[in-house]
Amino acid sequence: MTCDLTLRDVRSVARIVNLAHRFNCRTTHIAVQADATVTARFAFAGPEVALSRLRAQIDRILAYEANPT
Amino acid sequence: MTGAQAVVAALERAGVETIFGYPGGAIMPLYDALYEHRVRHVLVRHEAAAAFAASGYARTSGRAGVCCATSGPGATNLVTGLLDAMMDSVPLVAITGQVRTELMGTDGFQEADVCAITQPVTKRNFLVSDASRIGETIAEAFALALHGRPGPVLVDIPNDVLKARLDDAAVREPMTRGGAGPRVSDAAVRDAVARIRCARRPVAIIGGGVRSGAVDLYRMFVAMLGLPHAATINALGAAAPGDETYLGMLGMHGLKGANKAVQRADLIVALGMRFDDRVTGKPDRFAREAAVIHADIDATEFGKIVTADVALHGDLRATLRALVDELARGHVPRFDDWAAEARQLGGPLPSDRVEHDELSATGVLDRLFDAIPDDAIVTTDVGQHQMWAAQRARPAHPRKYATSAGLGAMGFGFPAGIGAAYANPGTPVYAIVGDGGFQMCLPELATLRRYDVPVKIVLIDNQNLGMVRQWQELFFSERYSATNLADNPDFVAIARAYGIDAFAVTAPSHAGDVIARFVASRGPALLHCACHPTENVWPMIPAGMTVDDLMEARA
Repeated sequence: MTCDLTLRDVRSVARIVNLAHRFNCRTTHIAVQADATVTARFAFAGPEVALSRLRAQIDRILAYEANPT
Repeated sequence: MTGAQAVVAALERAGVETIFGYPGGAIMPLYDALYEHRVRHVLVRHEAAAAFAASGYARTSGRAGVCCATSGPGATNLVTGLLDAMMDSVPLVAITGQVRTELMGTDGFQEADVCAITQPVTKRNFLVSDASRIGETIAEAFALALHGRPGPVLVDIPNDVLKARLDDAAVREPMTRGGAGPRVSDAAVRDAVARIRCARRPVAIIGGGVRSGAVDLYRMFVAMLGLPHAATINALGAAAPGDETYLGMLGMHGLKGANKAVQRADLIVALGMRFDDRVTGKPDRFAREAAVIHADIDATEFGKIVTADVALHGDLRATLRALVDELARGHVPRFDDWAAEARQLGGPLPSDRVEHDELSATGVLDRLFDAIPDDAIVTTDVGQHQMWAAQRARPAHPRKYATSAGLGAMGFGFPAGIGAAYANPGTPVYAIVGDGGFQMCLPELATLRRYDVPVKIVLIDNQNLGMVRQWQELFFSERYSATNLADNPDFVAIARAYGIDAFAVTAPSHAGDVIARFVASRGPALLHCACHPTENVWPMIPAGMTVDDLMEARA
């Protein structure tokens, strides 16, 4: 599974990597460009259900970063 | 103005009246700013209680609860309360002091990387390194805590930032906040209503999302259809008083009728609930014949445990409004016959091995719920008493009942009761606790005494960590490892040592009289109930099983 993300907070990169580990997924690729905004490309491998759960959690992180303003 | 004064000013702007906390070195400038300030600070005796009290405040008011603690151990002691709030979607703002900026990363005294520690247990956290950003950061924290699916947010502020002098002109104004949030799709609403019209055995399940101001519309929705409905523990009180289509709490220790009706349903209308494993048991055997309409503010919940045939993504109040309006545009089906049939699937709660002259916890709770006022707020701790109470309580509103549901954090119930009392002055508050959890927060008796908080503590003392003991009896060959609390202290003496009135019940013959005097007493009080040590919670669906495996007594 590949995810191209725009993040507000570079620390979310670490959070996403930790979540992948927790869900028994492997983070096979990370590329991050941190300027005013953070663009990040991740690739993960793992069981389909775990990847699905990881994607949902990533979406929640993005929502919590973006919502209040 | 200092950074600390900017914090207090931001709290005032956010409408905060009360914060729960415990001081320490790094956060001293904030405590100095709070000195004689109209934002009221309640000194708890352990930071964990500050987070739980803030949670009780938020759960029973709908406003954000606020707690504060110093750096290092003060902040780490908040972590359980933050996770509890995350699991149960409770709006909480935690403010922590941090060591001086120059010490960060040096293993300084009472230093902890609190933002890293709390990242998984908060919606977001912020480390404020520039005092001019304090106001906007705290405003954002409140907006985020309350917006969408509520939850905890932490703001960590180094000591030197709290002490920094601010040029008022340099203070950044809070940002405009609060997007509209997701709007439920019209097509999904039409699909949901079409499925409701075609259903023969629909059941609604209401969850904690009903706390988002959706109680009236929920009651209208189930009433217009005559729809049988069940609640998760976080939604107790959602049903209208006397509603005969309400089947009770669902799940592992839920009522048989609620669980059986859900299992027989051909349509589940799941509203603001997340299919917790304590509700579903084994998901692939849960409500096997049912299509699922799932409404939630958090899209992450769709398909997480149970696949939704119709996903209604949006605020629950708006979703219910849309469902009611769409139903009203055409045929409104009635499910009275099915509701009557569903009611027959249950039966009285099973009783356990307690003899008539022994004090049973369930007997005490039955009498208590008969005795307390209809508008009382009940908080509970975690364990057997939590389940017995949830089976029996009929709170008038979901904000009248607070329990640590998702996390199951022992030590929650009593401090949550303190928070509830501050959020609802004049409303009676009963904290139902067990002997295990109560001993995790005993020092809060001092908080109760100092501020004369009128919380009434109902201590169900069965001299055991009862729920674990029950599982050891049923699933671990009666090997009672580390669950016996027969050497409990004299709780009545402890309460009185703190200056709290205490009542004791030891036998059913005088329970009614003692409970009546306890309820009628003024101010804080403890009711110690010396209950049977091996009474179990029934019914029970063992973990990972379904209602087909429901137990009503030992095998």
